Amino acid sequence: MTPARFLETRRDAWNRLETLIAKAGSRGVARLTDHELHELTRLYPAVAVDVARARMYEIDPKTQRRINQLAIAAHGLLYRRRSVRPTRAIWRFFRHDYPQLFRRLWVYMVLATAIFTVSTLGAYVSVRIRPSTAHLFVPGGLDVVDESEVTAEDVSERYRRMPKPPMASAITTNNISVAFAAFALGITAGVGTCYVILMNSMMLGGFFGHFANHNLSYECYSFLIPHGVLEIFAILVSAAAGLRLGLSLAIPGQVTRKNSLRAGAKEAVLLVMGTIPMFIIAGAIEAFVTPTYVIPGWAKIIIGLTVWAAVMAYLLLVGRRKDGKSVIGTGKATVVALT
Amino acid sequence: MQELDFIETPENVELQRRLAGIGTRFIAGLLDTLILIAIYVVLLLIWLVSTFADVSGDADFLFEAWTWSMAILLLLGFVVYWGYFVFFEMRTNGQSPGKKSQKIRVVKDGGGAITFTDIAIRNLLRVVDGIAGYAVAGICMFVTRKAQRLGDLAAGTVVISEATSEYFARSGSKGDVQWQREASPEALRATGLNPEEYRLLSNYWMRRSQITLDARRQLLLTLVLPILKRHGQAPRDESVAMLEYHLELLMHKAIASEQTKPPAPGSQGVQS
Repeated sequence: MTPARFLETRRDAWNRLETLIAKAGSRGVARLTDHELHELTRLYPAVAVDVARARMYEIDPKTQRRINQLAIAAHGLLYRRRSVRPTRAIWRFFRHDYPQLFRRLWVYMVLATAIFTVSTLGAYVSVRIRPSTAHLFVPGGLDVVDESEVTAEDVSERYRRMPKPPMASAITTNNISVAFAAFALGITAGVGTCYVILMNSMMLGGFFGHFANHNLSYECYSFLIPHGVLEIFAILVSAAAGLRLGLSLAIPGQVTRKNSLRAGAKEAVLLVMGTIPMFIIAGAIEAFVTPTYVIPGWAKIIIGLTVWAAVMAYLLLVGRRKDGKSVIGTGKATVVALT
Repeated sequence: MQELDFIETPENVELQRRLAGIGTRFIAGLLDTLILIAIYVVLLLIWLVSTFADVSGDADFLFEAWTWSMAILLLLGFVVYWGYFVFFEMRTNGQSPGKKSQKIRVVKDGGGAITFTDIAIRNLLRVVDGIAGYAVAGICMFVTRKAQRLGDLAAGTVVISEATSEYFARSGSKGDVQWQREASPEALRATGLNPEEYRLLSNYWMRRSQITLDARRQLLLTLVLPILKRHGQAPRDESVAMLEYHLELLMHKAIASEQTKPPAPGSQGVQS
């Protein structure tokens, strides 16, 4: 077979493939009819081989490039992710995958919680023993509560004066950004994530200690717990994601470091994505429930704890059907309540 | 850092992809940043107008409307900041507007399609890559073989250039040594095939047991049959069995020729 004959016999196939690729455009094979799709799957392997043959026949580089381009374009069309409707994917994710993922990664959750607890207690005890250290833990945030005669009412007055919708927005988006950072900083073998945990926990411990020094614990708790329990929990989940990422890099185990990191990142990013709804709920509570006069403090605490318990029930119970340990009844009820 | 990335397609053809250079990626990133800044300027203008515009009307209602529009603006700013790259790379299969202008694209390392998770990972990790004006990303791209920043390493992605369209298939494939074996002159003489055709046919012959019957029929009809016909072996029918029978005859001829070398002069050619 001569190069000329090769060009002659294959030209029709290339032209046809070019037409099909142009028709599919950037939207993918969905634009093709069944017959055309079938044609594409038949043409592609043949043209892929033409790439090799064109090289061997040493035909002109321009034509070679054209065939290469065709093969790559067809490859790109045929080997791409299956498009799923985003709403469907999100529903599936929260209905099954996310609670399962959370339960699978419980070790990291325990690890993050342990670091957080120790550091919070440390800061609390430190401030209780030496009240002057409070400034170390709560940078710039103590100006309002510096005077011992200041009540928690005065603190929350600040919040009450703020317009609520932008506040909910600002709090939620800021918290999600912190969560994303806690995840991303995990790439430093987990060091950056630990930094985020320590910063947050010391501030909290210092805060608790400072209020306890002024005998304002109840006011402090009624002010922080309604939204804080879920908020801190979600921060810990994202920190767990950061630790998953970091430890997959630091301790790859039986697989290569590269593959370990990829697998770790995949689980971790999904874990952190699932915290978004938690932050939205917490942000709404913080803006609309926490500062209100209408509900008494103890009721706010109950609301906060109930919402958190519902999230925990969702994470622990939903999506178990597949592995046989059926708790579907409770699971369904919870997921409906949350979505 | 190397310039090329190799992928092997499931069709056993190895393609070379040209990796995008650090400079190109920097320019693409700069363009995307400029677009982001432009979006923020617009959001800022909306904020200025809605806050300081002199509108008459019910004060309570206006305040209420203002608070909600602020909430939405804040939310928009957040969504744009985190979602810009994710949105475009999802939509266009790996090209943000900046990348599109530079004709570069995010693809999966080793072939295959990028998924939402990949895109989310590589773009959330911008937080770390972007430290000190993307210095972290720059250093990382210098020291990794495929010019990957941290986000690429974690997501398992590479950024390739489509600008010069320099994709070449390397004939043959990686993997089993048997398939890579070059055709001996004796085998070529005995079968009358050229080296490329021989490699193609023997490749198919070695791997046929791993291929489904439907795929075998396809390959036989599109690849093997034309070659058989060119060499004067028109099978009676185009069934898998008949085509593979003819292929087997050819393969046996090749193997036999190698076992009896050197071949007797004059015994070359097709003896069907």
